[in-house]
Amino acid sequence: MLKNALLTLLSLVIAIGGGGGSVWYALKAQDGVGAIRIGQWTAFPDIGTPAADPYSKARVAREGVLALGRAEGLSFVAERDAGGGELKRECTYTIEGGFPTARFWTLYAADQSLGVVETGKSRLAALQSYGVVRQPDNSVIISASDHPMPGNWLLTGGFGRMYFVLTFYDTPIASSTGLSDVSLPRILKVGCNA
Amino acid sequence: MRSSYAAMRKLLHAVLLGLVGAGIVHIVVLLLVPEFSERDAWSRLSMASDLYRMTRLDAEAGGAPVVKSVDPLFYATACRFDLGEGVVRIKAPGHVPFWSVSVYDRSGHNIYSFNDHTANDRVLDAVVLTPAQMIDVRKDLPEDLQGAIFVEAPIEEGIFVIRTFVPDDSWKPIVSSFLEKSSCELQDF
Repeated sequence: MLKNALLTLLSLVIAIGGGGGSVWYALKAQDGVGAIRIGQWTAFPDIGTPAADPYSKARVAREGVLALGRAEGLSFVAERDAGGGELKRECTYTIEGGFPTARFWTLYAADQSLGVVETGKSRLAALQSYGVVRQPDNSVIISASDHPMPGNWLLTGGFGRMYFVLTFYDTPIASSTGLSDVSLPRILKVGCNA
Repeated sequence: MRSSYAAMRKLLHAVLLGLVGAGIVHIVVLLLVPEFSERDAWSRLSMASDLYRMTRLDAEAGGAPVVKSVDPLFYATACRFDLGEGVVRIKAPGHVPFWSVSVYDRSGHNIYSFNDHTANDRVLDAVVLTPAQMIDVRKDLPEDLQGAIFVEAPIEEGIFVIRTFVPDDSWKPIVSSFLEKSSCELQDF
């Protein structure tokens, strides 16, 4: 009798613990259903729309996100460089290449919660397309570093994991057909402060 | 020997049953999270202010941001509305480099969005209403609504968000006052 009760208890613990835990884990993970990958960049064009999958919907509800609409823009997040290594706040990166058509874009260095990194300096860890120097072929080379760099300098700083968030505003790529032949800039690691 | 074999089978049975149960619990919890979340955008906004009140979403206005407003080069403001009480009109006077607007339903899904290129003379003047209210308004369109953008949303409760671009520090006061002057009110007909 006692053994049966114990077995029932075991089943219940596995069911409730495993079920709840797996939902919690799935919502924590950055990767998810409905992601579109272009190079190192990931976007969730469907997040925050009624057409989103249940995981995105749960994440929207849990984190209180108000996602950008299609007519507003589309955000891409990068967590790794072209070599496959995780982005680190203490490292210097070069972000170079062409950018897809948009009225303008913004790029910023983010922490785990995708808020802008706190560097303790008055300069914001963000750049926007009206304020960058372009190459003759209209491509852009950006240096992300914790010390000043020539050309386009994206200030970073501190230690730990870092993400780059690149958002295009008023862009045709936010519509579902536009994403097929989009190319985004590459992220190359230059070096790290030991 | 035989009894230990039976015990193993019972244990295996219980574990398997637990795993199947875990799958069911996973699905149920996942579908219930949006229903019962107290941390969604609507709940956070309702803790910060009343219906038809513009609330700044960025940290610039002082205090921690109410709803995570992601882009650091943007300011944003939001108001909650209830179309069950009537038609809502949102206005913001003046010009800024870029503004965009989204209408969300109660659970934070983006229903409709547009930006300043859509608007007449790039002035933000929008009306949110249900399809039924739209029919009423169409019958006799008031003079001062001629230039407004009509957003038909099949919802009752919702959130209206204005986002504005801040290209650099010199734009901060201009963009800030644009958002401070924005209004969100019930419209009578």
